[in-house]
Amino acid sequence: MKLITAILKPFKLDDVKSALQAHGVNGMTVSEASGFGRQRGHTEVYRGAEYTVDLVPKVRLEVLVDDSDASSVVDVIVKAASTGSIGDGKVWTTPVDQIVRVRTGERGVDAI
Amino acid sequence: MGTRERRYRSNESDRYLASLFKKALVSLPPKAAHSGIALAAVGGYGRAELSPGSDLDILILHNDSLSESELSEFINKLLYPMWDTKSVDHSVRTRTQTRDAAHDDLKVALGLLDIRLVSGDADLVAAVQHDSIDSWRKESRKRLPQLRLSLEERHERAGELAYLLEPDLKEARGGLRDINALRAIKMSGAIDIALERISWAESILASVRESLHEVTKKNRDRLLFQEQDLVAKHLEYGDADLLMSDVARAARSVDYLLNSTWHRIDFKGKDGLGRILRKPRTTSLGGGISVAHQEVVIDELEDLNADPVIGLRAAAKAAQLGLPLSLDSCERLSAILKEGGAQLPQPWPREARENLVALIGAGSAMIDVFEALDQEEIIFSWIPEWNSVRSLPQRNVLHRHTVDRHMVETALKAAALTRNVHRPDLLLVGALFHDIGKGTQEDHSERGARLIEPLAKRFGFPQEDIETLKILVLHHLLLSATATRRDLDDPATIASILAVIPDLETLELLHALSIADGEATGRAAWSEWKASLVSELVSRVRNAMSGSTIALQPDISDEQREVAQSGILRVILEERDSDYSIEIISPDKPGLLSIVAGVLNLARLDVRSARTKSHGPSAVMKWIVTPDPHAPAITAEKLHRDIEAGLKDSKGIEERINDRALAYAQLPTIPVPAPIVESIRDAATDATVFEVRSHDRPALLFRIGAAVTQSQVDIRSAIVTTLGAEAIDTLYVTEISGGALSDERAREVRERLAEMLK
Repeated sequence: MKLITAILKPFKLDDVKSALQAHGVNGMTVSEASGFGRQRGHTEVYRGAEYTVDLVPKVRLEVLVDDSDASSVVDVIVKAASTGSIGDGKVWTTPVDQIVRVRTGERGVDAI
Repeated sequence: MGTRERRYRSNESDRYLASLFKKALVSLPPKAAHSGIALAAVGGYGRAELSPGSDLDILILHNDSLSESELSEFINKLLYPMWDTKSVDHSVRTRTQTRDAAHDDLKVALGLLDIRLVSGDADLVAAVQHDSIDSWRKESRKRLPQLRLSLEERHERAGELAYLLEPDLKEARGGLRDINALRAIKMSGAIDIALERISWAESILASVRESLHEVTKKNRDRLLFQEQDLVAKHLEYGDADLLMSDVARAARSVDYLLNSTWHRIDFKGKDGLGRILRKPRTTSLGGGISVAHQEVVIDELEDLNADPVIGLRAAAKAAQLGLPLSLDSCERLSAILKEGGAQLPQPWPREARENLVALIGAGSAMIDVFEALDQEEIIFSWIPEWNSVRSLPQRNVLHRHTVDRHMVETALKAAALTRNVHRPDLLLVGALFHDIGKGTQEDHSERGARLIEPLAKRFGFPQEDIETLKILVLHHLLLSATATRRDLDDPATIASILAVIPDLETLELLHALSIADGEATGRAAWSEWKASLVSELVSRVRNAMSGSTIALQPDISDEQREVAQSGILRVILEERDSDYSIEIISPDKPGLLSIVAGVLNLARLDVRSARTKSHGPSAVMKWIVTPDPHAPAITAEKLHRDIEAGLKDSKGIEERINDRALAYAQLPTIPVPAPIVESIRDAATDATVFEVRSHDRPALLFRIGAAVTQSQVDIRSAIVTTLGAEAIDTLYVTEISGGALSDERAREVRERLAEMLK
């Protein structure tokens, strides 16, 4: 089993969600995040005060998948999230030892 | 559902307990059974208010003539039958023990205020009742602060009944316990309370609680989401929204009465014999308004019909001073308005509009004043549209508050952002009415934009301001939605914003409104994360816009040019409805702006706006001023003399202004956002433009002018506007030798201004 984590541009969330649902992925967790990659920090004016921003708002999306699905799901996310410009984000997979569905107690692949 | 059922339940309990009591008496020696022992109801049961799930609060009184074993046997006999059928909270005490327990525990003391005989020795119960009420009255000076503290702790824990999604009907602020507290305060004799004001509220809250117990078959007082529909059905409301709207209204009226009661106790304290302890000191603010007992009052003899703006003036003054409006003044105003008197002319005069803006812009002090205007139903005479959103619930996880309270909270947040915009008045009005379109199935932004037009017209805003307000209401969600859902790098996104926002002034207003709305809604809808996305969007849109928000130098007519060339001093005074328009053409010299501002200030004229421009050897100035209530009559001749004198010797003016400042009555002021001073080099006019945005205060312009003059620069033009309680002063400045200021020099002037504004 694998956890796929994706850091996305906020406005891309809807596109990625639709693509995942079309691909058959039914569950996900979404959270607000900030970060930077190779984007330069820049100066902003907010409420009249200047400050340097190197943390840019992003969205974190997490999906649990079976090993055999991992590769295709990553592809779906990358395709839907891509705009071709700086800041598109990254997607990565981590191995997962155990998953349990709280309501039913199902474990392992049945809990995905 | 109602008092009858509750009383019936109480009577049934009485019968039941009385029969148990009599049976238990059999176990006692005959002498003891006939006197010296009694069963009494206290607390809610004492008031004969029993919900299906209520505990029975009882007190078993005895005169200590029984042995311990006899007594405990009696108690067991009494209580055992109820053990698993009824929930009984009991204490066993002698008269003295009761006195001591009440002395030590506020809750016990409160419960005893409602003590009532159920069965047994009536004299014993009567004696305890007398003790309780007597000591409550005598010790009220100690007990009321205790009560107040316990209320505050409880409110802290349980929140506000009117605004929580799943409120606790008993514990939350404005709930049933608060109603009992009000009764207890009245019983203490410290102050008279018009409890009839909350009789509707009490019956609503008690019915809802009872229905909740019946419907859930539990004793809980917290009205959970899923239970609201059941209760609404049970009580025959159309839907849960209507139910919660009534609950909110009830809670607000209780909260309001409680707040005013505490305030009156603090400032109208009488001792036990009814003698007023503090000598009342009244400070007159002019215009028929005074401050007494730390409240703003409308003077007794004022004819409200002759001066319909007085209500708004009093409300604005109260909010700007951080004081409440006196209950009596509110009631008086409300009564006249209900009869159809004291009607504001349509459209509103400038003074009414300015006072509304000053009221809205006062920050947190505004909430209490606004609540008073709502509770006394004054606001609905002035703004009938407010009715449709009054206590309108927003029952979703996103919103904490009812629609009207949310708009007030948004206005509160907007008040902190007034320095970020050039039209604080439009920001504040836009914020207060941005959700006015809620309450129907129609898109509330569109409906709101439609509703704000006649409203803004009535307030007397000119058409272009009305258009701006319409845009603000129609698009108040635009920036947040776009920032999170669209690609900020895509020019089409920026273009879509530019298509609906015509200029920088509107953009900055919309940005401030988005922040205020978000912060007022709460963390579910707004965060630093979202704020920075919106900020990013706004800065990109701003870069794509041309133009600026700096006030332009005024134009002058040919006739004015001619007079200016001649170098004479000319003053023309025009008396208008509620203000004076004064044209002054004067020989120019360093410090002229301060001199004239100072002369006007000493004549007790409040500057609402000013436009000045140098031409040749003179300056052409147009001032709009309103006389302060204590101002003597002014004439052009007198002003002419004063200005002439000031031109000769300006030092005297400063001294006299300082003296006047010291003489102002010491009244509280509210916290206001810090002033902002900015400078921009303006290529078009080869001048440096300074903009000062701050809270209005006496002699502000005089001081700004003085600070600039000290820097040895020339003021070429000045544009001064006061909107509500906020002032925006724009100065076009050059070196005396000509030309814009260097960065160094600009900073020097900015620092002087900032220093002076501290």
